Amino acid sequence: MSDITQSAPVAAPRSVRGQQWLQHVSLLIIVLVLAVFAWLSPIFLTVMNLGNVLQQTAVVGTLALGLTLVLSGGGLQGITGGIDLSIAANLGLSAAVFASQLNAGQPIAIALLLTLLTGAAVGLFNALAIVWLGILPLLATLTSMNIAIGLEMVLTSNASVSASSDLQNLLLGNGPLAVSWLGWSFLLLAFGVIALSRLTSFGLRLQAVGSHPQAANAAGIGVKRYQGLSYVLCGVSAAIAAIASVSLLSGSSPGANDNLLMVIAAALLGVVFSRRLVPTLGGALISALFLSLIANGFQLINVSSYWINGVEGVLILLVVALTALLRRRQSRRTQGV
Amino acid sequence: MSDSLLSPVAPRPRQTGWLRAIIVLTFVALLVFFIVAAPAFATVSNIRSVLLNNVAPLAIVALAMTLVTRIGAIDLSVGTAIDIACLVLVTLVLHQVSLPVALFAALIAALLVGVFNAFLVTQLGVEPFLATLGTLFIGQSVQQLSSNGGQPVYLLSQKLPDGFSAIGHGALLGIPLPLWLLLLVALALYQLLHRSATGRSLRVMGEQYSVAQHSGVPVKRLTALAFILAALIAGIVGLILAANVKAWVPLSGNAYLLNAIGASFIGATFAPSRRPNVLGTLLGVVLLSFIANGLLLVGWNFYWQQVATGGLIFIVLAVGALRARRHS
Repeated sequence: MSDITQSAPVAAPRSVRGQQWLQHVSLLIIVLVLAVFAWLSPIFLTVMNLGNVLQQTAVVGTLALGLTLVLSGGGLQGITGGIDLSIAANLGLSAAVFASQLNAGQPIAIALLLTLLTGAAVGLFNALAIVWLGILPLLATLTSMNIAIGLEMVLTSNASVSASSDLQNLLLGNGPLAVSWLGWSFLLLAFGVIALSRLTSFGLRLQAVGSHPQAANAAGIGVKRYQGLSYVLCGVSAAIAAIASVSLLSGSSPGANDNLLMVIAAALLGVVFSRRLVPTLGGALISALFLSLIANGFQLINVSSYWINGVEGVLILLVVALTALLRRRQSRRTQGV
Repeated sequence: MSDSLLSPVAPRPRQTGWLRAIIVLTFVALLVFFIVAAPAFATVSNIRSVLLNNVAPLAIVALAMTLVTRIGAIDLSVGTAIDIACLVLVTLVLHQVSLPVALFAALIAALLVGVFNAFLVTQLGVEPFLATLGTLFIGQSVQQLSSNGGQPVYLLSQKLPDGFSAIGHGALLGIPLPLWLLLLVALALYQLLHRSATGRSLRVMGEQYSVAQHSGVPVKRLTALAFILAALIAGIVGLILAANVKAWVPLSGNAYLLNAIGASFIGATFAPSRRPNVLGTLLGVVLLSFIANGLLLVGWNFYWQQVATGGLIFIVLAVGALRARRHS
């Protein structure tokens, strides 16, 4: 790469104050939005509604966590950076596998195993195409998205497949605080993944690989291995989300790919909650919850759900434009020093 | 902004003609297979229908995409420009506005999508991928809100102004109008991209962005130009769609996105420079369209076609990437 400074947004100590300002403002916006919803609808801040939101976030939230791994490992250089556009199509394919296995009367263990294998296989396909063949992530995953959508339609003839199992009933059943076990499982998964990425060297190394591949390579980190692994893990996250989705919908249904934009939005909005302005797992969790809360709030105060896409679009643009502005200011300062 | 789309180092290719030969042979073999297995494939009426209904709209979108990919960016919102142009045209025709005014307004609406993208990318410094993704999101909301969640708006055929359906079905010198439009767009874009000083600057931006910037190329202005022109060209497809279907079907433009990107990169794989270019894109569109048509005629269902098309694009991309790796 000719321009190392662009691929490596190294934080300058002086600019930390500027970034914290962004974090404070975004937190303030979240609190404000929630306050408005709470003021307009008495149901909004009840435990039951919040539990409901948590459960609704499980699918997109899990995908956003997976996508965050890919974004951290692949770097944020826009078109050449890490991205997995096949993640929502993979969700659809994995959900179709899970539902059709259950529908065919297979034992739950086999259905679960095949689902996880499907998700991981799509992830492995991406990993090989990107790391081994060297195809741009954007193009490679755009293709695997198409293939996964096609395979899902072949498998289900583009129709819904109903499925029922004890696992689904258990997940939808209420746990403590009248929050479903699905909601609790999602929280457990999210915190588990966040803890793992903080306690082990994996998370740090993955970020190193993404933000400065040459430096990571020089430090003895297997750049290709980490990047490949991030795509496989992303595929597995799609399979886990598929299990949640099949539970919520009592089966699989076409159109899972519609989740793609929401997932990208959640993963990217997470950037605001990191001091170095990079995607983080915790940030992705908060933004996924925030996006669900907006959707839920709109529903409660009777605003058409057709606004949601637009609001998300504006939010993404706002965040990315602010981030770009702060980065520019940052690099100007570092150059000035 | 990233330096280049394909690979930062792009010397002239050497000794990898055989990789390109593999792709060409594969496609030739496929075509021979279709001709043998499906008697209807190589008929004049089939070829004419594919050229008119599949190649023309896809090629125009793919050319719009080529303009943007050539400068090292991407436009995910070409579908939005298509839909918005279609929406404006159908709405105005429905309200008895005269056809030239409606067509003009529709193209202006598509152009505004490009202006919005250009503003985000050049003024706010948002990455093209994210900027156009945002535009795509907002476009979806706008369409859902103005169609009550995606209800198509139909035009009754008896109330249509003269010449409306001619946009989709009319012919000049025996050649359908959409193909004339395609020819016009292709020639204009070829002239701009490959035969003008502006084009040379655009191409340099795609290969070495910072070099272009430091050599005094007005990178911002040219980036804006690329996004605005791309949206305008995509808008033409919206007009053709409106005239063909005699309706506005919300969110239908996105169907072209993957194939447009695919065609532009298939074209890049064939070119000696390994960059998206006008002729390569046209070739890519022809290949994609006839393969989909052939698969349909030999009896593959739509679902498998999707898998097969994805697989073929993948093979081409893989060969392109392998070639690029051998050079660096």
